[in-house]
Amino acid sequence: MPRKVNYGVDYDEVYGDYEDYFDDSDIESDAGEVPEVEQDLIKPGTWRCSICTYDNDESMPFCDICEVFREPSSICNNGNNRTAPFKFDCPSPDDLVSRGKQSSKAVSKGALVSITEKNGSVRTVPITGRQEYSSPLASGRQLPANETTRTSSEDNLHSLTNSLSMNLEVNSERSRNVTTRRAASPAQYKPEAWMLSDNEEGSKNQLNLAIVGHVDSGKSTLSGKLLHLVGRISQKEMHKYEKEAKLKGKGSFAYAWVLDESAEERERGITMTVAVAYFDSKKYHVVVLDSPGHKDFVPNMISGATQADAAILVIDASTGAFEAGMDSNGGQTKEHAQLIRSFGVDQIIVAVNKMDAVEYSKERFELIKQQLGMFLRSCGFKDSSMLWIPLSTIENQNLVAAASDGRLSSWYRGPYLLDAIDSLHPPVRDVSKPLLLPICDVIKSHSLGQVAVSGKLEAGALRSGLKVLVMPSGELATVRSLERDSQSCTAARAGDNVAVSLQGIDGGNVMAGGVLCHPDFPVAVATHLELKVLTLEAAMPILIGSQVEFHVHHAKKAARVVRILSLLDQKTGKVTKRAPRCLTAKQSAVIEVVLGEAVCIREFSDCRALGRVFLRASGRTIAVGIVTRIIE
Amino acid sequence: MKVVRRNLVPDGPGSVKMIPEESDDLWLAYNLVCEGDTVMAVTVRKVLREMASGGRDAERVKLKLEIKVGAVDYDKEGSVLRIRGKNILENEYVKIGAFHTLEIELHRPFVLRKDFWDSLALDVLHQASDPAASADLAVVLMQEGLAHLFLIGKSVTITRSRIETSIPRKHGPAIAGYESALNKFFENVLQAFLKHVDFNVVRCAVIASSGFTKDQFHRHLLLEAERRQLRSIIENKSRILLVHTTSGYKHSLREVLDAPNVMTLIKDTKAAQEVRALKDFFDMLSNEPARACYGPKHVEVAHERMAVQTLLITDDLFRNANVETRKQYVNLVSSVKDSGGTVHIFSSMHVSGEQLAQLTGIAAILRFPLPDLEDIEM
Repeated sequence: MPRKVNYGVDYDEVYGDYEDYFDDSDIESDAGEVPEVEQDLIKPGTWRCSICTYDNDESMPFCDICEVFREPSSICNNGNNRTAPFKFDCPSPDDLVSRGKQSSKAVSKGALVSITEKNGSVRTVPITGRQEYSSPLASGRQLPANETTRTSSEDNLHSLTNSLSMNLEVNSERSRNVTTRRAASPAQYKPEAWMLSDNEEGSKNQLNLAIVGHVDSGKSTLSGKLLHLVGRISQKEMHKYEKEAKLKGKGSFAYAWVLDESAEERERGITMTVAVAYFDSKKYHVVVLDSPGHKDFVPNMISGATQADAAILVIDASTGAFEAGMDSNGGQTKEHAQLIRSFGVDQIIVAVNKMDAVEYSKERFELIKQQLGMFLRSCGFKDSSMLWIPLSTIENQNLVAAASDGRLSSWYRGPYLLDAIDSLHPPVRDVSKPLLLPICDVIKSHSLGQVAVSGKLEAGALRSGLKVLVMPSGELATVRSLERDSQSCTAARAGDNVAVSLQGIDGGNVMAGGVLCHPDFPVAVATHLELKVLTLEAAMPILIGSQVEFHVHHAKKAARVVRILSLLDQKTGKVTKRAPRCLTAKQSAVIEVVLGEAVCIREFSDCRALGRVFLRASGRTIAVGIVTRIIE
Repeated sequence: MKVVRRNLVPDGPGSVKMIPEESDDLWLAYNLVCEGDTVMAVTVRKVLREMASGGRDAERVKLKLEIKVGAVDYDKEGSVLRIRGKNILENEYVKIGAFHTLEIELHRPFVLRKDFWDSLALDVLHQASDPAASADLAVVLMQEGLAHLFLIGKSVTITRSRIETSIPRKHGPAIAGYESALNKFFENVLQAFLKHVDFNVVRCAVIASSGFTKDQFHRHLLLEAERRQLRSIIENKSRILLVHTTSGYKHSLREVLDAPNVMTLIKDTKAAQEVRALKDFFDMLSNEPARACYGPKHVEVAHERMAVQTLLITDDLFRNANVETRKQYVNLVSSVKDSGGTVHIFSSMHVSGEQLAQLTGIAAILRFPLPDLEDIEM
């Protein structure tokens, strides 16, 4: 059998189509032209300060009134480069960004003026000299050329981009003067100076790492051990856990107890909800999201792992356990891998745990690598973004230092786990989009006061004193303080996992599954949606009227399929059949669902994190998809 | 339902005097009463009377009215059947042709006169007078933060209560918050349980959930019963079953009815049969899609070719339709029966009936595959 055969559904093709759908025809105009938006409103030779809106002279590097530096804005030429995210033949947005950053100093990742904005209000175009953009894919290859032209026309760039930013400023101002709740087009949103991150400072990036795998593969123990070795858990605390665990007769779970804190979880020896823990590696602030492995708790795992940027898939290497995990009916290994992939995570570390049980045998490792690798490839993970690490948690092999046991070090030469975490690529952050924080949890703690929410910022940035809009209730609240990792911080940007305490709102109006957003850019709340889905292999047939559970970011609602619009061909994305009677496994289709209650949602093209949906029924995930249209 | 007197001719006119005894019977009455029938019952009407002094006095008078049915309304939650129509009986207070709304209540007799008693109506009547065991299950379906309390009757499933709270995830410092929120949630569910579950009426209570919530709640229930000396629970401890489902949403009720220990209790009741029939249909659809079809047109075509083995139909279709369509469906049902197939009439008040209703309300399992049905537009 040829090696490169697709054994399952090719997710990247499916998702790739989603991207292509939206990219089609918007990139017709020539690059390099200054936008057709009104230029005449701006007085020549001046720039407008974004904080105090004072028109300063061109020559002034900082604003006269408020002394804030001039906007270091420019358009990343990746703005229109919606390279199909899972087609790896062209450089990923991450690579483009990092290359872009290297080439021009003053470029911030922000000011992402979306070409594919459906409203089309500001049809702006990346300004990178005279370039022709023929297609999204082709433009990726033209990048090297872009860079050189960009550096040469730096001045040109700046003046053009400043005039561009001024245009946006004017538009957003005007929109703000109108009634508060009207959603202004996201392209008109102007990120403030403090929001655009100071990446050059050398501060570490935050990396959200989800730990998933079949039940009892050792996820919580691995996380606990890692925290202990890195130094987050003191020896005294560890002793306490060990003693308590032994008392309860669960001595081997001592490390897992670091993360499983509720009495129920400790008693049963399982993880029921996602636990969040923080530690620092050499390169990142790592946020560990330890997920439950049990079949019943997959909804909790979805809610937790939706925040992830990368994942560690933990495999139990002992004989029989791996096979049980791979079983499509009972095993969670496959389901978790598929879910992780559909979260948009493309980097995965496979930690093959419990190697001591198989005597660190190379054959076993290779066998697992081959079988699982096949499956992961069919999910859409690229070979180069998969890392395979054999380790043993209880014997502390290959976790934070290279293997010391002779049996392992004799044949294994690769990195150890901490190294592997460091070698992951930093994810790209949408700092310049309006604020979006899906609420994971509503908590009450002493330092945070009465009403506090926690979650990961998907877009934009937050600071104390800002007004935010809590959806779906639609109430306004002010941010009293921010807390990250139990320490208060002043500002938080996209990608940070924070706890926000709110003022001026009743606790009953805030529920997990809601979204905090910018008052001028409210997020849509809808019940009737159109989705493009891909059914998974274990799925039962979906008919009109099928009742499913709808999961999006942290919200879960009961939903009903009302129409099956069309079947799509997985390779080309073309409609193959209109109004089919039912959907069976491994099909791609467009359907309409009606939810029991309204949910905060965004189209996938607007915001990835709020546009990804999962459909579950009878204890299994039957379909993954994206929101193509919000109907009502 | 007690049938006091019946004098009718099958497929002809006739009248029946009945006394509904439980809310299920009201549902059956709802299925029986159609537009154009007449219903006679004792009712209360507000009558305006001119007093000697000239003032008008409104007085509530009890009188017997016969109404020609114009519209029927069934209130599931309140268990009330309202029949609206014009008066046709001579009465000193109410003129002929005046509109009135009759409320059919439990334990009060009423007389139903129909022009045409078709086979379906006779079926329903037969069912009503049949003192067969009713399902009568109380089900608490929950997941963390969400609970439903259902009462499953012979033909009706009523949602008695729905409780939803936001329970915070366990969070390092706020672990106490999780415990207390969970306890408050259980307390609310317990209150609902005590209020709506009457062990004299209900055969058994089922606590169903995903994960371990059911065990936690069961424990909490028993502890609280001991503490507060709740006799009803202590005595009936053995009648509380635990079932595992995949979620706490309403459609998981099917799984409750499918569970083996619950199945043994209710296997001869309508609800269980419906669930099984629908499950067969879905299995057939996933294994051999050409042998299952749904939608009136498809089923018609299949029937013309004598392919229908099992017909699944909701009673919704009979009720709302005009006489012509109703006749059509009745004919379909009887001809399927004649050709040796089985017919399951689903009560649209049960979960499985609701699901079938979503699926256009009519479906069929075929004897042999008919692949060209796909091409026919629905």
